[in-house]
Amino acid sequence: MSARDDFRRLLGTDRVLDDPLERHIYAKDASLMRGDPDLIVFPASTGEVVAIVEIANRHSIPVVPRGAGTGLTAGASPVMGGVVVSLTAMNDIEFDIPNQAAWVGPGAINLDLSRQAKQFGLHFAPDPSSQSACTIGGNLANNSGGPHCLAEGSTTSHVLGMEFVSAAGEILHVGGLAPDATGLDLRALVVGSEGTLGIATRILVRLLPLPGDVRTLLLDFSSVEAAAHTVSDVIAAGMVPAALEMMDQRMTIAVENWLGAGLPIDAAAILLAEVVGSTASVESEAETISQIGLRNGCRNVVIASDEAERNLLWKGRKSAFGAVAQLAPDYYLHDTVVPRTRLVEAMTGVYEIADRYGLTMLNVFHAGDGNLHPLIAFDSSDAAVAAKVRQAGDDIVELCLGLGGALSGEHGVGVEKRDLMSHSFSELDLDAQARVKDVFDPDHRLNPAKILPAGSRCFDFGGIRRELPEGAWV
Amino acid sequence: MNVLADLETEIAGAPEGLHLGPRTVDDVSRILRVATDEEIAVRVWGGGTHQRYGVEPSPGIVMTMAHLNQVETWEPDDLTLVAGAGAGVVEIENLLSTRQQSALLPEMQGSGTLGGVLATGRSSLKRARMLGTRERVLEITAVTGDGRVVRSGGRVVKNVSGYDLHRAMVGAFGSLGVIVSVCLKLWPVPPDSATIRVDDAGSALSTERPLAVLETRAGLDLFVWGTSSEVEAAVARSGGTAARGLHWPSDPVGEFRWSLRIPPASVAGAIEMVQPWDYLAVHGAGEIRLASNSVEGATEIRDWAESLGGALVLVDHPDADPPLDPWGTPPMTLAIQRRLVAEFDPARIINPNRLPGGL
Repeated sequence: MSARDDFRRLLGTDRVLDDPLERHIYAKDASLMRGDPDLIVFPASTGEVVAIVEIANRHSIPVVPRGAGTGLTAGASPVMGGVVVSLTAMNDIEFDIPNQAAWVGPGAINLDLSRQAKQFGLHFAPDPSSQSACTIGGNLANNSGGPHCLAEGSTTSHVLGMEFVSAAGEILHVGGLAPDATGLDLRALVVGSEGTLGIATRILVRLLPLPGDVRTLLLDFSSVEAAAHTVSDVIAAGMVPAALEMMDQRMTIAVENWLGAGLPIDAAAILLAEVVGSTASVESEAETISQIGLRNGCRNVVIASDEAERNLLWKGRKSAFGAVAQLAPDYYLHDTVVPRTRLVEAMTGVYEIADRYGLTMLNVFHAGDGNLHPLIAFDSSDAAVAAKVRQAGDDIVELCLGLGGALSGEHGVGVEKRDLMSHSFSELDLDAQARVKDVFDPDHRLNPAKILPAGSRCFDFGGIRRELPEGAWV
Repeated sequence: MNVLADLETEIAGAPEGLHLGPRTVDDVSRILRVATDEEIAVRVWGGGTHQRYGVEPSPGIVMTMAHLNQVETWEPDDLTLVAGAGAGVVEIENLLSTRQQSALLPEMQGSGTLGGVLATGRSSLKRARMLGTRERVLEITAVTGDGRVVRSGGRVVKNVSGYDLHRAMVGAFGSLGVIVSVCLKLWPVPPDSATIRVDDAGSALSTERPLAVLETRAGLDLFVWGTSSEVEAAVARSGGTAARGLHWPSDPVGEFRWSLRIPPASVAGAIEMVQPWDYLAVHGAGEIRLASNSVEGATEIRDWAESLGGALVLVDHPDADPPLDPWGTPPMTLAIQRRLVAEFDPARIINPNRLPGGL
């Protein structure tokens, strides 16, 4: 019996898709890289996920878990074919209010979780720009961030435990409501593993109390450097605001054209800062940030006067990527990190790279974390331009690594950055990571060809080099 | 062992065995390679404060990390610090306090080291608000049992490049490699703070993100920090008696020391359960530090904790052999854990048997 027949016997015809249009839709995520799935399945329970993995094992086909497909590094693109497991139907949310937590299906949408938690005075801290579409399972897989991770940390700090299905088809539990589960903390490995170590089927998340009071500030500057200096100075002044975001002029214009949020389009850069806490603390922190901005040449400080104004400012920030569609049919969004003391150099450097290749670059990013998101708007049908975009991307990575930074801050590695991992890590470091993959998934069944470049596993116990065949995926 | 003669030293308070004091990461690598080849257990020694945690390794090499104690870099304006595993927790926090910063390491006195805190996974009493030690770690360099020097993470506050091995190394007792160097995420320390004696944990926890709510036999304390006006407001709201500054309670004292881990909402019930043991409960986090002079009642408490998905772990005991399994029921992922450790410590020489399930 074929794999297709096995999946249909398990799930019926409705939940197994393989017509060319469906395969085309599920061939990629929000990145530019396309794979080609053999079929797409929609499990509704952990038991069905187990059965899917067992069928895939029997037929030796790759298993590619997928949430909403908003990922930006081809983490959900089935580049080796196989079965795409869409987890969107597993979206139930079960609150545990006394423990300020919730058990959540991987397909639950990030914003739905926070909206539903609001009635209990709680929220889920990670808030990626895609939060109205992206799923908690996807957040877990990518260790997603968002503006409010500056003070509260990325998804990994908010996943207390999970049930996941291993490559062998076992149902395993790690972590839980009790802190410091005994033994090795495998949760730390599975979170951020981009579906390569297991498929999370139930996720226990930490919920935080809604802040008592909030102040959202918009500061505008006549130079990017002045804005970047302000960010560095705020951190150096011993403050960790809830969020500290920067947008450059090109991006501000694009957003303003689209949304009419009242952003100052003549500013070279704007900063969006948010402080939360008691009324006393938010007022004094807002004042401190304003003063630091003014010292750095900030032209104007606007403080959102009500919830509607605050929401509009955030809508401007979180819709930025959508607004780029006005400029060009495609965009290539980067995600690198630099130490916050190197922000000015990093910003100068990324503009130089865009100029060198004659590309249109816009910036909107998590400045407080040093997490850059240079975005190149272009037309991918022009092969020469597309090649330049790739090259500029590699240059940006080199620049940030050279400043002591990291390859990826919150979007993951996927395929897009896989072959750049060796710029960030030594052979031994990558070998250690490859061993993790081999332990969890010796046959490389789960989301193969992601994160680690070919040949990562190059040492054996005795330090003897074990050559892999050319082009082998590990 | 002539090949390691140049590294011989004397470690005060350490059990018998070959005492070695590596001065460089290469020395650590050399020691571990020899130990793997000869299949000799290596007990890693930080400050010597938690050597009875889990099952003690059999005599062999005792390796002190004392010489790898440098603060390599401190970037106050980036809120990051890189230090050797042997650096003292007290020394690090004292240094950081000169610029009103903290690594949010456990509040401790004496000889505890950064590497020891990470290897045992001990967290700060501020964990309900500031999260555990695992969340403070940005990068770790470690040496595997077969001598490979492996780095995971990076020196930036946000990073998703590859598997978070560095986080998994927290609480791993060296089984994924001996930690030699660590990059920590720092936090600014606000100008004012107070310790407030209160009556009710529930209302204390409902304060605007309290720094900690701790309960001991002496009573219940709410810890707050912030600007002077914030702290004054919190004191007024609480209605309790306040002392300026953070006056952390000391750990419970007894021949047997335990760590009880339960869901946060079960802490009040746990305090009933653990009478007459001495306790320090971290409300909102589900951690209760316990001390007793016998193991009587331990099985009952453990069964209750495990029924809630938690654990009762024996952290210290007077005799060489623990009177009961220090960990309780092993985790269901033990097979994966065993395979993982085999990749990082193939001859299983680094602190063997310390982990649950005889790993």
